[in-house]
Amino acid sequence: MGLVRKQAPQQPEEALPDRPPVETLLAQLDDPDPDCRREAALGLADITTAVPDLLARVGTEDDPRVLESMLTTLAAHDTEDVAGGLAVHLTSDEAGLRTAVAAALATMPRSVPALLPNLLAAPDHDVRVMTAMILADLQHPEAHDWLVRMICQDPHPNVVTGAIDALLPSATEDDADLLRDAMARFPDDPFLRFTVNSALPRLTGTA
Amino acid sequence: MTSDTATRARVLVVDDAATVRLYHNSLLSEAGFEVSEAANGLEAVEASLSAEFDLYVVDVNMPKMNGYTCVETLRSETVGTAAPVVMISTEDRPGDADRAYQAGANLYLVKPVAGDRLVRVATMLTAGREEAA
Repeated sequence: MGLVRKQAPQQPEEALPDRPPVETLLAQLDDPDPDCRREAALGLADITTAVPDLLARVGTEDDPRVLESMLTTLAAHDTEDVAGGLAVHLTSDEAGLRTAVAAALATMPRSVPALLPNLLAAPDHDVRVMTAMILADLQHPEAHDWLVRMICQDPHPNVVTGAIDALLPSATEDDADLLRDAMARFPDDPFLRFTVNSALPRLTGTA
Repeated sequence: MTSDTATRARVLVVDDAATVRLYHNSLLSEAGFEVSEAANGLEAVEASLSAEFDLYVVDVNMPKMNGYTCVETLRSETVGTAAPVVMISTEDRPGDADRAYQAGANLYLVKPVAGDRLVRVATMLTAGREEAA
């Protein structure tokens, strides 16, 4: 699957004169009213000291709108600490959480590359599938190369198929052999075969 | 399956990956189903409010509205469909299938799903519709 491409996080404003004190906003993160929690999460944009409090609530927040606001605020920091704190949720049992976290990580091109060696080597192949989804939308010059590496090396067909799906929008004729090799590695995978056979005519100009 | 459009079972394929939608669409269309597509759970719910489907084939990990929430909404009063739902995902951890069934799915399959199996399952799950018609 791919992710909805989000706009790059906006730079924090220099001054937010009407913003409540940070302590007040942190307290509001535990307010029973989701609108209040959402307002607090957005109000804590660019407050570095609020990062641990926000990260601690990502796994427990049950309102999707509040969670999205928290992730938007956190992703704007784009630091390795935040990315690492978010990446642990890629194994969550909650589909909404792991998908939202993946979407947030896809907007963090400065910090996510440092996580990639571990993500690409994750023993849980579902984490590696999610990594392919992140790379599909990550605005980074090496995203294509990482996807190629996944296609060439990953032992699980679902990961390879996910990486191919992520690569296809930017694939060129130069990637045709890569796709053929992937199909040869997993000759019994029907969806991988379909994906490659559907893409090759376009890549090679024989459509 | 009959090729008569008026009696063909209508399937909604819900997946954010265009290649997956294309794959499932081509398999089911070739088998005689009338296939529509939705790119996420929200689109699926919207489509279900304006049209009736005899079967849903739903991915789990999707933006905007994930598969579990989608199925729960399809089963809720918002949509209220009793049509069978097949969830298909890469997730094969313990509990994933239980989560799907709790949401209201009739079947949980782990990718990759062989084409003939998907068609077989779709035919089986829509057979009641034909008998009831």
